[in-house]
Amino acid sequence: MNDKHIIHVEDLHKWFGLLHVIRGVSFSVVPREVVVVIGRSGSGKSTLLRCLNFLESPSSGVISVAGHEVTTGPGLKPDGKKIIDLRLSTGMVFQEFNLFPHMTSIQNVIEGLITVKGVKKDAAIPIGEKYLDKVGLLEKRDVHPIRLSGGQKQRVAIARALAMEPQVMLFDEPTSALDPELIGEVLDVMKQLAYEGTTMMVVSHEMGFARDVSDRIIFFDEGLIVEDGPPEQIFNNPHDERTRLFLEPLRKAQHL
Amino acid sequence: MAVDTMRSFGPAGPDPDISMGQKLMELERRARLIHALQVAVVWVVLFMILGLALMLLNFDPRYVRDHFGFVLQGLWVTIQLALISITLATILALLGALGRLSTSPIAQGVSGFYISLFRGTPLLIQIYLIYLGLPQIGRQFQDLGMQQLGQLFTLNAFQSGVLALSLNYGAYMTEIFRAGIQSISYGQREAASAIGMNRMQIMRRVILPQAVRIIIPDIGNQFIAMQKDTALVSVMGIWELTFRANRLARQESKFMEMFVTAALLYWILTVVSSWLESRLERRLAEAYER
Repeated sequence: MNDKHIIHVEDLHKWFGLLHVIRGVSFSVVPREVVVVIGRSGSGKSTLLRCLNFLESPSSGVISVAGHEVTTGPGLKPDGKKIIDLRLSTGMVFQEFNLFPHMTSIQNVIEGLITVKGVKKDAAIPIGEKYLDKVGLLEKRDVHPIRLSGGQKQRVAIARALAMEPQVMLFDEPTSALDPELIGEVLDVMKQLAYEGTTMMVVSHEMGFARDVSDRIIFFDEGLIVEDGPPEQIFNNPHDERTRLFLEPLRKAQHL
Repeated sequence: MAVDTMRSFGPAGPDPDISMGQKLMELERRARLIHALQVAVVWVVLFMILGLALMLLNFDPRYVRDHFGFVLQGLWVTIQLALISITLATILALLGALGRLSTSPIAQGVSGFYISLFRGTPLLIQIYLIYLGLPQIGRQFQDLGMQQLGQLFTLNAFQSGVLALSLNYGAYMTEIFRAGIQSISYGQREAASAIGMNRMQIMRRVILPQAVRIIIPDIGNQFIAMQKDTALVSVMGIWELTFRANRLARQESKFMEMFVTAALLYWILTVVSSWLESRLERRLAEAYER
């Protein structure tokens, strides 16, 4: 792989039983790049993202994030230590937030620092507060997730991922479970991260965000990258008929 | 960066119709109170019928009064038995559940076998086997000159009772723990994995704290059931509640007097325990209340 790349994926395959959901995908991401992956539901785009930190074990292929490379294939048992390294280089934000309900906001944010990185609680709390402040929720520091709105939960989840100071942030449809009026606050946080130069890979249906914030859009269909290019090109001049067919109704619906 | 959220809507001043809401709440409160009173009356009536039945049995309250202290002393033994056994059973159940859910074939096999064996045989027989059977094995070791090892197999009655109750209830409670652990959504596990936690850390920090809250009522239920199954250890001559009641009952053929006394003490014990359990349950629920 090229030293410039922070994510590098080579010939990635994923099978669910006899379902071939990712069919040999290769791509790279450079530091500070914001890549949005779009595609139909069921196209495999979420699985692709989840393979990067091994929440889904790839069936075969090479995945490398921030210099940690893991090769997988039939009969090859990936090294658990390496997978942890991959996970520590990536922060992940889920569609369903997945905050720990038995912990307050601050406890959610510092849990990884304390349990995984072995940071002392006294040292972890200021870090946690810094990231809660970053997502605008320092005032909700001692509140349990059940007392937060969906948008607030997702912002705490973003803070939780950021607190581990990963080199790459992965977003798996971060606004899909939110009421429309709460989407904006989450996208605002993500935009801010993008402007600060965070390397981001985002699976999303938010075409406005994709067009305005991303450096690159990947259109994913039937387990393959159909088109990969800057947003102007993808939106205004798609090379592939499938991309155009996918975008047309969305652009109408989202007034783009 | 601060993100502005949550503007509150709704009327600014007090609602002119507020008295209507208050009236409805008052009516609802009264209906609930009346219902609770009615239930209480039913309880009182049932108590009276029970008392009447006891009187018809030619119940001798003096015998109860004279020997109440003697029976009551057994209550403490019963509580000790139950407390120690439920603690050990909980530990066994946790290990059993982790075994069942583990990927290791050995752990899965061992826990599956344990559950099957101890759920598939009567507690009373398990008590006999541990109290009377194990020493037979011990004696054979002693014949071979292994005194220390042989001693290990000879348990006194109390130890045997605790061991049998723990193993038996541990097997049942394994399934409770397993169900509790599995009820935690997969997303929790994924979120914990994503921040780099290993399996042990995920279990200890994320899954178990949530699972325990869910299964506390079930553990409480098992604890209550166990308190009464401690009566079975009286067959080994442990001076607990049932043994003491039985002994005095036989002395002067005052069966009803003594067994009703013992039964009442068990009943009070379970009422107190379930009250304590519901308090614990409420405390653990605090984080989840809006």
